[in-house]
Amino acid sequence: MVKRTVICPNCKNQVTLQGSSREKIYVTCPNCNQKGVFTFLEDKTDLKTINQSYTIEVNNLTKFYNGFKAVDNLSFNVKQGEIFGFLGPNGAGKTTTIKSILGLTLSSLGNIKINGSDIRKNFKEIKKNIGYQPERVAFYDNLTALQNLYFYSEIKNAPKKDCMKLLGEFGLKDLANKRVGTFSKGMTQKLGLIRAVLGNPSLLILDEPSIGLDPQGVLLVREKIRELNKRGTTVFISSHILSEVQEVCDRVGIINKGVLIAQDTISELSKKLKIKPKIIVELEKISDRIVEAVKKVEGIDKLEISGNKIEIICDSKTRGKVVLAIGNTGGNILNVQTKETSLEEVFMKYTGG
Amino acid sequence: MVHSIFIVAKKEFMDNFRNNWIIALSAILAILALLASYFGSRDLEWQDFEFTIRIIIMPVQFLIPIIGLMLGYATIIGEIEKGSMGSLLSHPVTRNEIILGKFLGLGSVISTTIFIGFGIAGVIIAINISNPDVGLYILFIVASILLGLAFMSLSLFFSSFFKKRSSAMVGVIMLWIFFNMFWGFLMFGLLIFTTSGGLSTPDWFHQLQLLNPTVAYSYINQNFIENHWIILSLIAWSIIPMILAFLIFKRRDI
Repeated sequence: MVKRTVICPNCKNQVTLQGSSREKIYVTCPNCNQKGVFTFLEDKTDLKTINQSYTIEVNNLTKFYNGFKAVDNLSFNVKQGEIFGFLGPNGAGKTTTIKSILGLTLSSLGNIKINGSDIRKNFKEIKKNIGYQPERVAFYDNLTALQNLYFYSEIKNAPKKDCMKLLGEFGLKDLANKRVGTFSKGMTQKLGLIRAVLGNPSLLILDEPSIGLDPQGVLLVREKIRELNKRGTTVFISSHILSEVQEVCDRVGIINKGVLIAQDTISELSKKLKIKPKIIVELEKISDRIVEAVKKVEGIDKLEISGNKIEIICDSKTRGKVVLAIGNTGGNILNVQTKETSLEEVFMKYTGG
Repeated sequence: MVHSIFIVAKKEFMDNFRNNWIIALSAILAILALLASYFGSRDLEWQDFEFTIRIIIMPVQFLIPIIGLMLGYATIIGEIEKGSMGSLLSHPVTRNEIILGKFLGLGSVISTTIFIGFGIAGVIIAINISNPDVGLYILFIVASILLGLAFMSLSLFFSSFFKKRSSAMVGVIMLWIFFNMFWGFLMFGLLIFTTSGGLSTPDWFHQLQLLNPTVAYSYINQNFIENHWIILSLIAWSIIPMILAFLIFKRRDI
């Protein structure tokens, strides 16, 4: 059990909390009844305020570019401690939204809060807790990897010793004193991620983090994202690689033509779209009798036969009936596999692709 | 705030001082001053600072603005185009701190380049002449640095104003042509128009020349206008474009 003294963001009253590592507790300030959520983080020993429930709150964001509405009345929230996937086709408004969150573009309308604070007020303080990897990672080419990282760590007031440690973790230690101008795209991409995680930010915003990486690099990035999230970092990922998003994200938001069209967990979105999972039954031998028996089961949407496998699209309640029907015909079932709805299917349905 | 400005300035200095052409420029300025002093007269012997400055001021008023403009024209727009500005602004640093940091960093580069180049030459000349007017030579170095800062500040403004690096480059070239070539025609035309071909040059004509930093610089120690007004004019040219750069960059989408 660990003890933490936190400060109420509303009345600045000090509240002592007790809990175990990674435990998330709901707190009500005894002085002003301000409600909030606090997570006992593994590595952070000095959290100073009660964390709000949402790390990112975007409300009615609208952005015009020369009369063109790039983002239209966009509202969504990213919960504290979650990995949120932000998806959309090219030109949907993803990058504009990210840039607005980071204050890189000045939003035409609406407001954005990070950790409960409006980004238009004291944004410099807010940015101390943000790590960002842009889609197009760029550094100062004349400087070495280490000089670049030292520059950003000084700006962030992060310990300089972490730079070398992180270069080692990402397999770039030998390149520490090489000019970044000589780096390959993959190396620059990894260095970009190191820059983003410098100073252990509580919010990590990643725009296409796997672009240009080899398979090992992709796995490394995924591992790092999970590791940071375990330590309490909220992660916001925009990616075209849907399998990657599905692999790591707790929830996703889908944007199309500047409008947020869906926001939930992948399974909830599938339910809303009434997309049913697929079950694959592997048999020793498929006979007409088995196929007929399966066809008779109510609630089957689609049936396909491939080799000695029957692929059936049906809801979870029907799965048992299918297996039972095959069993009743005397068919010898070797394996039953359920393939959940892929994010790709959900994405295509929502964006009309 | 000061901390962030200093960090950005330090980075700019390190990033740009590695460019060999900056070091080469120091050598060029030194050689130029030495050549002017030794080969500037028919006697082929070391001349005093006053003579050296009179000879050297003409090529320097063309060269230093080029250094200032080339150093700064891409510093904002280049970073925006490349993507590093977005990353930098996601860090706890404000846009004003970035502009000020860049001004100080690039200003240090140009000041160091001029100081080393003319400084080395000055020491060599001073050793070889009797009764050197050190004060005058220091004034010349200060004015040269301010001329560099003025054009660097102008290039910072162009870099904030234009939406493409190539446009910013064309912009600073046009500016250089305007101040170094077109301005002369403009002022000459104005003089003829207002004085109807009279022989004496009115005072306002020289005062108006302060609106061009290169001409203001060339007036150093020429008795047309007192030196302190020239220095003040160059200081204004160093600060005003930077303030305009602040105002534009503050409202700019990255």
